[in-house]
Formats: sequence, structure tokens, C-alpha cells
Amino acid sequence: MIAREREKGVPVLVLDAGNALFKFPNSTGDANEKPRAELLLKQLDALGTSAMAVGARDLTLGLDFVRSGAKGLKMKLLSANLVDKAGKAVFPSSTVLTAGALKVGVVGVSPEGALPESQGKPALHAVLAEAKRLREKDKVDVVVVLAAVPYDLARRLAQQGEGVDFVVQSHEGRGPGIASKDGLATFIPPGERGRQLARLELSVDGPGAFLDLSTAGQAQTSLKNIEANLARAKERLATTKDGAARKALEETVATFESRRATLQKASKADATGSARTHLLSYSQLGADVPSDPTVQKLVEKLEPPGAGHDGHNH
Amino acid sequence: MRLRHLALAALALLLVPFVAGAAPKKAVLFFTGDNGGEIAPCG
Repeated sequence: MIAREREKGVPVLVLDAGNALFKFPNSTGDANEKPRAELLLKQLDALGTSAMAVGARDLTLGLDFVRSGAKGLKMKLLSANLVDKAGKAVFPSSTVLTAGALKVGVVGVSPEGALPESQGKPALHAVLAEAKRLREKDKVDVVVVLAAVPYDLARRLAQQGEGVDFVVQSHEGRGPGIASKDGLATFIPPGERGRQLARLELSVDGPGAFLDLSTAGQAQTSLKNIEANLARAKERLATTKDGAARKALEETVATFESRRATLQKASKADATGSARTHLLSYSQLGADVPSDPTVQKLVEKLEPPGAGHDGHNH
Repeated sequence: MRLRHLALAALALLLVPFVAGAAPKKAVLFFTGDNGGEIAPCG
């Protein structure tokens, strides 16, 4: 799927919002936990994932496991707020990536509080400072935060995220959703359990805030509908003689006209103020998407077919 | 010196259409997350 996009010549980046490696934040003692996580790290890297945030369900076997597992990978593990027992930053806060002519700053953030062999410092300050640095020093076009933090904290990062364009959240496995502008940044759910791939199409032609193309389309569709309804109401008003009915129709026409003015304004803003646009969609990774035979063999070593796992459609 | 200024002005004029007509920067960002230890070799 990603390869197909690359073949079309579209500049592509693959990013992981974290909580990739383990099912639970605490070890279950399952002998397969470690080899599965090692395989996942290698496969995320092989997929061309450029960066991944470190979440609670990546630290299940401790900080050293993730740190040593990441050695030799092209994929960068990121966290702007994770420190070790000595209070020292464990991973880089961010990385700067290029996709075609687009310069993208990517910040990772981990949950706040005590974590295995480590601690998550306050997230908001760390993210804002890094976003500011990326804007001012690295002159990035776009700032993406990979937020491996609880939903409420991720929403706060989006609401108060000055200099941040997108916040991609992982923690609870909430599944796919819609891109929603929340305060200053746009909040994006990445999907979960390898079942979905979120695809964000970006077009940047100057400074300013991103416009969601799906919302822009909605305003135009609503405008067409309201114009049709307004025309019908006016036709009925022209042929109605009864005073009470005329009054009701006049009120309806006034309501429609007011709504039309609002939608016209929204459509005009879409058409003229769209130096930056985004469009989010999801691809379902089901049985119709063929498995890579080499990877399939590696998986079958850990989970023989029919051995009974969780029923996930591999 | 004057000739040099004229040459620079001509160069600037030549470059203006290219700058004005610069195409938008486009890219596709794929996101995964919350995989939760699933080893799903899809795609």
C-alpha cells in the first residue's frame, strides 16, 4: 500500500504514534513477548517508518530493551519528555524529515509519570519548546506530534499546541476516527492493532493554518442543499395566500437566507484561504491485503497457524 | 558597476515567474499507532 503510493511518485513519510510493541504496559510473562516486540521493531523499520514515539506499551520490558532494540535501525525512537533514573533524556525529542520539498518536524512524547526504569516529565512544556525550536531553528514547514499519551492529554496538546499542526495520539487503542481541529492543532487518531493505516494528504502553498478538505467539501454540499430548499420555500410563498401560512414561510425563508450567508462565507474561506490543506482517510488492512511471504514465515515461527491467538485477521 | 546592477535586475526579473508559479509542496503521511504487540504482516 505504502509502496504503491511511492511508485506513483508521491513523497511519502511513515510515522508511528507509539504503543506498537506490547499488548499491555506490564509484562504477562509470555515467552513470546520479547521475540514479538523484536520482530515488530524490525518490521516497522523495514516498512520505512521514519520515526516512532515511545509509549507505555513500548516500555513493558523496560527501558533498556527498547533502547538496545532501536540500535542499528533507521527508524528513530522519539520522546521529548522521557528521562532515565538519573534524569537524563533517553531519546531525541524530535527529528526533521523531508518528503519531496516539504520539511516536516516530528516530535515524540511519552506519558507523564512513573514508567519502567524511566519517568515521563510534563508533556506540554516539552512539546511546545520543541515545536518552537523546530520552527525557528530548523525552519520546518509542518510540525507533527506523535503523542503516545492518554487521550485527554493529547487533546490538551492539540488545544494549546502553539506551532503544532497535527497531534497523532496512541495509548488506549481508540481505533480510527476523523481529523478534528481542536484549538490550535488538528487531532488525528492513527487506527489500532495493525488493522488500519491512516493516510494524511498534505498540500502546503504558504503559511497559515491547515484547512480540512473534507470540511470544505461539506460546506459546499450544504450550500447547494440550502439554495435548493430556499428556492422551493420562495416558490411556495409566491403561491400562498393564507396569512398564517405566509408568515411561517417568510420565517423559513429568513432562516434559510441566514444559513446560506453563513455557508457562503465558509465556502469562500475554503476557496480563498486554502494555502494549506489536509485530507485524512483510512485504509483497512484486512484479508484482501496480501501478506509479505517472508514476514509471514517469521510470524508463523512465533505463532503457528491454528495455534489459537486473538482472532486478529493476519 | 552600473552594468552589474542591470544584470542583477534582469536576473531578478527572469526569476520572478518561477517563484510566483512555484507549485504547492505535496506529501502523504502514513500513520500507524496502538499496534499493541500485534504481528500482522499486512501489505
